Amino acid sequence: MGNGGRHGPSGFPFPISDFPFPLGMSLVNYQTREITCKIVYYGPGRSGKTTNLHFIYGQVPEDRKGKMVSLATQTDRTLFFDFLPLDLGMISGFTTRFQLYTVPGQVYYQATRKLVLQGADGVVFVADSQARQLQENIESFQDLHQNLAEQGVDARGIPLVIQYNKQDLPRELILTTAELSDAVNFRGVPDFPADALHGPGVFETLRGISELVLKRLSAGAAR
Amino acid sequence: MIKTSVEPWIEAPLRAFVADAGVLLALLLHPSGQVLAQHGFFRAVDVMSACALAAAIHASSAELGRQLEGKPFSGLHAGNARQIYLAEAETARGPYIFLTVFDQASSLGLVRMYFEEFRATLAAAAPPPVAPQEPVLNANFEGELNRNLAELFGRA
Repeated sequence: MGNGGRHGPSGFPFPISDFPFPLGMSLVNYQTREITCKIVYYGPGRSGKTTNLHFIYGQVPEDRKGKMVSLATQTDRTLFFDFLPLDLGMISGFTTRFQLYTVPGQVYYQATRKLVLQGADGVVFVADSQARQLQENIESFQDLHQNLAEQGVDARGIPLVIQYNKQDLPRELILTTAELSDAVNFRGVPDFPADALHGPGVFETLRGISELVLKRLSAGAAR
Repeated sequence: MIKTSVEPWIEAPLRAFVADAGVLLALLLHPSGQVLAQHGFFRAVDVMSACALAAAIHASSAELGRQLEGKPFSGLHAGNARQIYLAEAETARGPYIFLTVFDQASSLGLVRMYFEEFRATLAAAAPPPVAPQEPVLNANFEGELNRNLAELFGRA
């Protein structure tokens, strides 16, 4: 952080700033033509939210990302959140940046999840494909809807995609994407099978949520 | 010198605070972690990280204050050679979080004193929220998005 003497990836020496129109909560700065969006990876404990961010972090060149911040316990479980800032480059003449967050999945971190979810422009729900985790997935999805409702956000309106992670595990241990979709995806949102540890599906998931979030900006919808 | 292009109503109070208090870094952000204005940072991604952490500190310390004293803590100070001061500023657009970093060239007393002034001028300057009128992005933005993401992931 601070005076590293380097210029921002967009070429601006000081590209940041601000704001003014909370669109969703995306910050759109017409003066400097910058957009900043907040994406939250949500889901039950150990479903692979942090793994998604780690994979993305490993793929993206240095000049297009910031440091990955992880507030974790000694055993690497997410305690507060993980955070990864990304520079997506120019879209429609706007320098577009995404802030990727994860929430802690364990049930007892409810208050923390609410805080991290505040102001989210889009949500990626990371489900654990293991058959024995089905109930945790359902409860976490309900928890997401409840937390959004408490913040006055209509869960049917916020951009949402679902990722069925751990599809690389042996077939006898996991549910198929069709089975998971039946159980969790009652809204029929875009969903993606994934193996976040090795990469398949991570890119597609990020692209899916990016499209939905930016579509709101192209439609001029405001929350 | 503040080199950010911020809304005019934020820029003057922030410039005055930085000059008067002699701080190294300053950030004004929304409680969700979105940056509103900054001074002293060079990389946008570093600003975003600082904002995420500041929002987290603010949220957790406020909750701790509520549990201990029945109200959120009004300010947080930490550090030695480089110190931070974190506090909340209320405006017509809602509460904002302010984080500043300073060294021996300033002091906690100075920072606190000029922060009170900053808070007052910011509140006085803040216009009411304005709803967006026009779509921001072109309807056919997907091509650019896909190209940029593919480049980001080395798939271009």
